Amino acid sequence: MTDYVDAGEAVPHKTLSATKGQAPATGNVDFERIKNAKSEPANWLTYYGSYDGQRHSPLNQINSDNIKKLTPAWVFQAGMNGLHSGASTYSFEASPLVVEGVMYVSGPDGKVWAIDAATGEELWRYKWASPYDVSLCCGNVNRGVAVGHGKVYLYTLNAHLIALDAQTGDLVWDTVNGDVRAGESGSVAPLLVKDKVVVGSAGGEFGLRGHIDAFDAETGERQWRCYTVPKPGEPGSETWGDENAEAWQRGGANCWVTPTYDPELELLYHGTGNPAPDFDGGVRPGDNLYTDSVVAVDVNSGTIQWHYQFTPHDLWDYDSTMENLLFDAPDGRKLLAHADKNGYFFVLDRTNGELIRVFPFVDRITWGEIEPDGKVTPKVYPEEEGVPVHFWPGPAGGKEWTHMSYNPATGLIYVPVQEVGATATRRRREFKESIPYWGAGVAVDLDDFYGYTAAIDPVTGEEKWRWNNEYPMCASTLTTAGNLVFQGTPTGEFVALNAETGEKLWSFQCGSGHHSSPMTYEVDGRQYIAVPTGWGGWVEGFLPGLLGAAAGDALFCFALPES
Amino acid sequence: MTSTDRDADLAAAGLDGQNRTALGRLLGTGSIGHAEKGSDGIMRATVRIPEDELIWEPSILVFPEGGEVELTLINDDKNTHCAVLPHNGDPKIIWLVNHSKGTARLSLSGPGTYYYGSTTGNDEGRGLTGALVFGGEVPDQAKQDRPPQPRP
Repeated sequence: MTDYVDAGEAVPHKTLSATKGQAPATGNVDFERIKNAKSEPANWLTYYGSYDGQRHSPLNQINSDNIKKLTPAWVFQAGMNGLHSGASTYSFEASPLVVEGVMYVSGPDGKVWAIDAATGEELWRYKWASPYDVSLCCGNVNRGVAVGHGKVYLYTLNAHLIALDAQTGDLVWDTVNGDVRAGESGSVAPLLVKDKVVVGSAGGEFGLRGHIDAFDAETGERQWRCYTVPKPGEPGSETWGDENAEAWQRGGANCWVTPTYDPELELLYHGTGNPAPDFDGGVRPGDNLYTDSVVAVDVNSGTIQWHYQFTPHDLWDYDSTMENLLFDAPDGRKLLAHADKNGYFFVLDRTNGELIRVFPFVDRITWGEIEPDGKVTPKVYPEEEGVPVHFWPGPAGGKEWTHMSYNPATGLIYVPVQEVGATATRRRREFKESIPYWGAGVAVDLDDFYGYTAAIDPVTGEEKWRWNNEYPMCASTLTTAGNLVFQGTPTGEFVALNAETGEKLWSFQCGSGHHSSPMTYEVDGRQYIAVPTGWGGWVEGFLPGLLGAAAGDALFCFALPES
Repeated sequence: MTSTDRDADLAAAGLDGQNRTALGRLLGTGSIGHAEKGSDGIMRATVRIPEDELIWEPSILVFPEGGEVELTLINDDKNTHCAVLPHNGDPKIIWLVNHSKGTARLSLSGPGTYYYGSTTGNDEGRGLTGALVFGGEVPDQAKQDRPPQPRP
């Protein structure tokens, strides 16, 4: 036999593509600029568009008068190859960011792109190689990146915080922040605040002790870690049984959704996840702080200043990780709005956590009751071993992690609502690292479900209108000064509603269910609406009745005709 | 069951070759190899594609920890294949014509398992799907502040 033919050396896959490998330089994005993000609505500089989590844009070129002319401007296909991190979902769950005509967006399975926001052309790409066998409760998804200091920050599936060069996509630093052997993972969109990058843990279904971490944005060095389950001797530890109890060690309260932030108070408002095991409260007596809570964390020290627990001693998997939207009352009082999985809408004073108002925002609540003064009375829950118990809302909640939005012109908050129940049967099991730790068998209803977008006045608690849908609403809303509310449906329609009335004004069939966050921006005087699609994540939890629905991984961008 | 039992069972069931009981070679049924870490810290190993077997040999490569990897890839088959391999930054690809030899330099974090394959035709389905398995633990600063917990 002759000598081997020289096959050379393996090359990056992207070298066999049209990607440019370079994005244009933009102005520097830093804390001051993000703090004033609303003054430059052409850009979407941070996860929610602004620190307050309102997901509102002052742009109004696209409005309720001309929305019927809205048409696709371009489509970006994420695409997948290989078997590097499972064929579990491959769906978008992110909100794109845009800085001066450059879009930065993360996809599933460790992918990040810089895209020309006017044309959809791929400028650069980066793919973090994700181990196939990381413990993931909900697929290989990612909710987005942070941009600033010339870098793009991504929290990877195997819990590395990485910084990429914003112009080239090259790796700048890589910090390992979580223990994949303990069932930890990463999916949250990082938040850039001051000189820090803030991320939270994922792994509540594997008995991980939740935490929030802040890193030096330039170097990746950790500045602080804040555990969201206290250990013995710390405030709140008395809510985990007696001093010999071990439940706190695997208590949950993970923080896998981006916090909001008040620059004046210098407080991060972070939602926390379910206790572990999710459905078996017998092994963790007490309220189990700070699970299912909002914790107000001093951004400088990483200490919890106050907390409010939405579901004490949770037995239904009612994470409270979803956003805490900041707004000011007409009298100037600084408030916080939160629509919880448990079906109740909370308004708190964000300076001290005082309850202002609580009321149901879903039709069917059977798990228990929360009275106007905040008193919680559980009614239906898995208690006896092997006995099935049905309850509403199911474990995905009346509202999942996908986000509501607030329009200052209407004073309304637009909430995506899921009406889906579930049956849980307690099955006690021992804890082992990296193995699911639910304490129950769970089946979410395959029928008797529906959804709607609710327009809620947070000052009065009144539901002003609702837009009904045959299926639960599982994607974030976006509202604009064009008197519009945008939202995707599970069956693929991307819908625009009149923000004042709820009238459906426009829709476009994207060919895949929606489970992510639309946003808007402007380039060269033209407004665009972008929506990443993809029907994945945890469909078996929030809408198993559509587990077999069409799924895709395209990012659609819409605009008015140029003429 | 010993590994010899396992091999014998796979052979008896016709699962250890091409076009026997199944159409292709059942994934994950090849041999296990171990990479060697050099004095320069790089972990090296060689994988081959034997003639008409449509399998990476060894098909499971074990590395002591995450880090820098140098693979030598040899195609001893009488057909053309390729390899698309995981790598932090972007997957890497190498084209492997009949009777060829090449290298792949990879950077991968551990612990965890990655898969790679020949993505031409349906080589992956026929058996040319290999595993790169990285052992080790995460750094101490990434671990949980809690007492040691039981593992499976």
